[in-house]
This record gives sequence, structure tokens and C-alpha cells, in this order.
Amino acid sequence: MVALVIALALFFDFTNGFHDTANAMATPSATGAIKPKNAVALAAVLNLVGAFLSTEVAKTISGGIIREGEGGIQITPVMIFAGLLGAVIWNLITWLLGLPSSSSHALFGGLIGAAVVGAGYGAVDYSVLMSKVILPAFIAPAIALSVAFLATRLAYSITRRHGQEGDKLPRRRGGFRYAQIFSSSLVALAHGTNDAQKTMGVITLVLISGGFQAVGTGPVFWVVAACAVAIAAGTYAGGWRIIRTMGTGLTDVKPAQGFAAETSTAAAILTSTQLGMALSTTQVASGSVIGSGLGRKGAEVRWGTARRIAGGWLLTLPAAAVMGAAAAFTASTGPVGVTIDGVLGLAIILFIFLWSRRNRVGHDNAVSNIDNAGAAVRINKRKARSRGRAAAGRSAATTTTTKAKESSK
Amino acid sequence: MSIDWVAYLIVAGITLLSTLVVVGLYSTGVRLSAAASDRDPGQAAGNRLTLAKAGAYACFTVCGAAVLFGIYLIVPALHG
Repeated sequence: MVALVIALALFFDFTNGFHDTANAMATPSATGAIKPKNAVALAAVLNLVGAFLSTEVAKTISGGIIREGEGGIQITPVMIFAGLLGAVIWNLITWLLGLPSSSSHALFGGLIGAAVVGAGYGAVDYSVLMSKVILPAFIAPAIALSVAFLATRLAYSITRRHGQEGDKLPRRRGGFRYAQIFSSSLVALAHGTNDAQKTMGVITLVLISGGFQAVGTGPVFWVVAACAVAIAAGTYAGGWRIIRTMGTGLTDVKPAQGFAAETSTAAAILTSTQLGMALSTTQVASGSVIGSGLGRKGAEVRWGTARRIAGGWLLTLPAAAVMGAAAAFTASTGPVGVTIDGVLGLAIILFIFLWSRRNRVGHDNAVSNIDNAGAAVRINKRKARSRGRAAAGRSAATTTTTKAKESSK
Repeated sequence: MSIDWVAYLIVAGITLLSTLVVVGLYSTGVRLSAAASDRDPGQAAGNRLTLAKAGAYACFTVCGAAVLFGIYLIVPALHG
């Protein structure tokens, strides 16, 4: 049982990595600041490094949402197994739809569902749930959106140049590309330090409850290493569907916008983490991209895509909770139930994977039209190119929508 | 249940301030370096060109420092 949970936890870590590559690397890939393949490689390395940096978060994995420990309920490996299963399946479904949804919310949702089934409604601390998960889900995108909007405005008004006769002078906004690499690297590093730790926390919890590790000790080295490798591998595998949604589906991102968006994301995440109120990286990043789209004149925000993403957020917690609860209910019947859970989960994972093969989204087609953008600091061709990119973005957006329709049937 | 609204305001405020400072500085740097790379600067503009270039590099340096500060915040070993 313990080994099974550890394997599942590592797989969750993997999905977490490839789900969240987009947060850091979607905009720099979309503007051609860095080639998509290099972008995910960079993000993978930063996640790997980030995972080793800190184990602070790992100590409180459920963040107090579930009343565990003394005076509360006893969390069993079966509960964790069911919760993880719910989280993994929801993560894969949203990835298939190309929706950037919060992996932490999926994990919380799954654990909540499993805990409610295993120990009743009293197992969940609803005020913590409200103030740590539900409220931030509205506030994080709002903050990111307005900050990115203002930052984009600022960037464009500062770099706007006119000659004496009112003719346009070269702005050389391509310079923002270099900055994008740094700002998005910060996001990737922060992601590694936070998200890999959740899995470390889960595994440590299981090891402790299974009696393999002393109570009150932190993650042991092999757990840290395994989590770091899993999240890095997931990041490198790249959730190209989500990168496409974030990079071209919401709005057409230009270097200055991308830089403004990534800087807002990095600032919001660092600030909130410092003040002990972690905002979801995914929600902050999506909000920033929309805000930067509103901030640039002539950029349109595709609200249809934004609505689908917001719908995904609202569903994440309850949907993962329902799946976690179903898995916990099945598992509570004993070893047979756990086996059924495992087989069913594996079947769903395989099915989603096979389904995704029907229209593959990879590094080569996630953001089209960028192959020549690396040399794009030349100004004269810019108009034509951005028109091409806009068209490509629109067609990409339509394919994702039709795909969503197909699968909802 | 008590919700700490002030904390949200503080987060929003600091995020806004730091983002605008970094983006503003980098934009200034981009603008100055664009100005410095203008062809045909006219007469007596040589000095201003150098100044613009220096200003651009100064802006980029401050932004680099901001990135380093970000790394400092991420790595707990650095600030305990």
C-alpha cells in the first residue's frame, strides 16, 4: 500500500510539473524569447534546483484544511491514495482540454473528498478552506490582472517614441525578450520550491503513518530527490496543450507584454509567499496574461477561452473532491476496493493518454509561427509577422474549442 | 471566520509597486538603448548618446539586482 501511494504521489508530481510548465514558459515561448524546447528544459532544470532548495512547505501539506493529527482525524494511507487518484485524474482531464488549472487545488480537492468519505464532514476545516483556497482563487487573478494591465500600459507608454515630425522612431521593444527569460525563470524556480514540496509532504506523511519514519521528522533525502526528478521530468515533458492556451489562446503576446505579465506573476508569487499566503501560480499567471492583453492597444483578449479557464478553476476543487470521494468509497471496502481503484485509475489514465494522441500538441506545433521570431528584432517586418501570428493564434484557439466540444459530447 | 483583508491589500500593493518599478526601469532602459542606437544623431549629440547608453545599462543593472533579490527571497537558506 505504502509503495503504491508513493508511486502515485510521484506520478502526481509529474502531472503537476507538466501542468505548470505553462505558467512560467508560455509567454516567452509565444514571443519567441526562447525556443519552446529550450524553455521547457530551462524550466525543468529550475524546478529540479528549486525542489532541493527548501522543505518548509512540505511539513504542512494540507495547509490545515484537513484536521489531522491530535484531536483531529487519523489520515490513513488509503485516504491519501484515494485523494491522489482524484487529483491525478482531474489534472489529466484539464490537461487534455488545455486548461491551466491549479494542481494544488486538485490535490486539496482530492484529499478533502477522501477525508470526508473516510472520516465525515467534520474532517474538513471549512474556514481554512474558505480563506486559503476559495477566496484566493478570486483574488489572485484579480490582483495579477490589474497589475499586469498597469505594467503593460507603463511599458508601452515609456517605450513609445516619436520623432519631431510625429513619425514613429524605432522602439526596439525586442529588448524585452531578454528580460522575459529572467522573469519567467524566477517563476519556474519559485514553482519548484513550492510544488515539489507538496508531494514530498504527501510521501512523508505516508511513510510516517506506515511506521517507516519517525513522527515529526522532515522528508528524507531520497524522497526529496525522487520528487525533484519527477517534477523536472514532468516539466520537461511539457504540457504543450496548456502552453498553447496560455501563450496564444488568451491573447497574442508581444515581448513587452510578456515581460510585464511575467514580472507581475513573479512579484505576486514572491510577495504572497513571503507573507505566508500562497497564491496559486496558475491563477496568477493566467490573470497576468489577460491583464497584459487588456493593456496593449490593439490586442484582443479572447474571453471565450478565459471563461473556459475560469470554469475549470471553479470545477477543480469539487471535481477532484468527488473523484477522491468515489475512490475513497471504493477503497474503504478493503483490498479488493483498492485494487479496483488502482485498475480503474490506470485505465482512465491510459484512456486519456490514448485520446490525447488523436491530435498531438508538441513543442513543434504548440506555438506556431515563431520559428523566425528569434531574429525578430528587425522592426520593418514586424507588422506582417504579428498579423500572421494573430491569425495562427485564432486558429489555435478555435481548434482547442472544438476539441473541448468534442470531448464534452 | 476571520479573513485577513489587510493582508490581501498589502500583497496587492507590494506586487503592484514592485512590478511597476521593475517594468518601468526596464522600459526606460529599452527606450534609452533605442535612443542610443538611433542613426544620424545630429551634431553635438555624441555626449548625449553616451549618456543614454550609460543610463540604459544602469536601468538593466538595477533590474538584474531585482532578479537577484527575487532569488534571495526564493532560497530560504539565504535569509533563514
